[in-house]
Amino acid sequence: MKMAWKEIKRNKLRYTILGSIVFLISLLTFIISGLANGLSQDNASLIKNLPNGTFYMTEDADETYNFSTIPETQQKEILDEQPDATFFSIQMGNFIDEADKQRSVAYVTATDDTYFPDVKEGEVILDTSMEEEGIAIGDEITNEQWNQTLTVAGFVEHEKYSHSPAAFISQADFQELFHTDSMQIGFITEGAINDTAAFTDLQPFSNSDFLNTIPSYNAEQMSLNMIVIFLLVISGMLFAIFFYMINVQKLGIYGILKAIGVKTGRLFQMMWAQMLFISIISLVFSILISQLFQWLAPSGMPFHLTLQTTLLLSIIFVVIGFIGATLSGIQIKRVEPMQAIQQGEM
Amino acid sequence: MSLFHMNNVKKTFSHGEIEEEILKGIHVTLPEGKITALTGASGSGKSTLLTIAAGLQTASDGHISFQKEDLTAMRNEKLRQIRAKQFGFIFQFAHLVPFLTVEEQLALMLETAESPLSRQEKSKEIREVLELVDMWNRKDAYPASLSGGEKQRVAVARAIIHNPKILFADEPTASLDSKRSEDVMKLIQKLSKERNITVLMVTHDMDMLNFVDHVIEMLDGKIVKK
Repeated sequence: MKMAWKEIKRNKLRYTILGSIVFLISLLTFIISGLANGLSQDNASLIKNLPNGTFYMTEDADETYNFSTIPETQQKEILDEQPDATFFSIQMGNFIDEADKQRSVAYVTATDDTYFPDVKEGEVILDTSMEEEGIAIGDEITNEQWNQTLTVAGFVEHEKYSHSPAAFISQADFQELFHTDSMQIGFITEGAINDTAAFTDLQPFSNSDFLNTIPSYNAEQMSLNMIVIFLLVISGMLFAIFFYMINVQKLGIYGILKAIGVKTGRLFQMMWAQMLFISIISLVFSILISQLFQWLAPSGMPFHLTLQTTLLLSIIFVVIGFIGATLSGIQIKRVEPMQAIQQGEM
Repeated sequence: MSLFHMNNVKKTFSHGEIEEEILKGIHVTLPEGKITALTGASGSGKSTLLTIAAGLQTASDGHISFQKEDLTAMRNEKLRQIRAKQFGFIFQFAHLVPFLTVEEQLALMLETAESPLSRQEKSKEIREVLELVDMWNRKDAYPASLSGGEKQRVAVARAIIHNPKILFADEPTASLDSKRSEDVMKLIQKLSKERNITVLMVTHDMDMLNFVDHVIEMLDGKIVKK
């Protein structure tokens, strides 16, 4: 450990370059991951905020919630058997605010207020992003197709669907607006199901399966996750290549150390200590800056990076760095003292 | 009394289908506490013999015994332990670790040799040895700031700090001028006497033979004169 530190101290430039590259790649990974999570929240926080459970749509809906219709009679039958079940509907739409500005929203209504805000008839509760855009409690909103107005009764945080802010309205208003008393989706939490037979003719979905039925969600997340995976792989390769280059330069020293009896394991420990030291310092800087970025990022930018995600990615970075450095260290095992002695002065 | 004995040691290198015999059945006995020099023309096999004796490469045939143990039949880890604890090495170049100070080079060797000394005793031993090679005043210097002679003196100090039984020296004065070569040889001679270290040294500098007790001359992989 002491030797590892001594070498870093004597070769500051070399290790600063490695540290800087690890810092930049890890920062980029954190930022992309933050954007992926941010977009995921922006696309589906309405669903992601629900606890783990089972979603239900009609089988003939072909996994598209828009085509799913669970009639009122079926809802009642299910609720008789499963009183903890909730039914809800989502419809993309728009409204005109008091400044005559048209706003896109996702209208949401539900049979009870367990998981969604309690909204009275004639009122609407909006995602806080609408408040940031100038809409205030008490404002009245309308629509060209409506005969009525809705009063803004409050705001809720992080309730978005398909990149649009959610607008929670009562069942009666939803029927009035969209001319249907059917609901699209049934939901029940994990531990509450006591009779799956109650959901006959409905297709079940887990939370993640249901998220993947949201148009664009899967493709969007897959692209961003692929970028994150590539960055992690690149960082591993970077460690392997950099330590390979450093090791090649040090083969002479390793050979002499082996000649005088230093254990190969100790040389590996030295390399691992250096890798850990460089990674941890670089990751600490990356974590700090990515969290600062989250704080400073414009409110409109979908960026969401939890400390849990950052720590998980950091652990993956260290593990990949360890593998990369170890692979490059195979040379240390192979180097023969004789090579170093014949090589001349280092 | 014999501490180290080489019996019928052979070394063959293969270059494709061609086999070249570098050592052709060498018998050597090193007298304890004495300096033995291996001399001979380039390519006579003296450096190969020294590195095989030191356990840095294997013999193709024959036996090497050290303190009645057969080095040729020994596992690598056991051989490493012997190199670390019982042998000392001086090479043609000092081969110091560039990122360690003079004092740290010696501390590393003590640690490698698993020295039973306490921390204070180790510091005392390092000081004594550095004073012996006249390098105590440069204890905090890094190799890059040392002259060739100073580096070689540190290499000598590193080679003897753990009180090895045998010191293997491969042309230890080849990279030095005549004055510094003489200084290093005097130092090796002094250490050998004071610490009862057996020395096997390769040299082709005839002036250095004035400092040794025995001379073995080699030619074409054979000993021609003892």
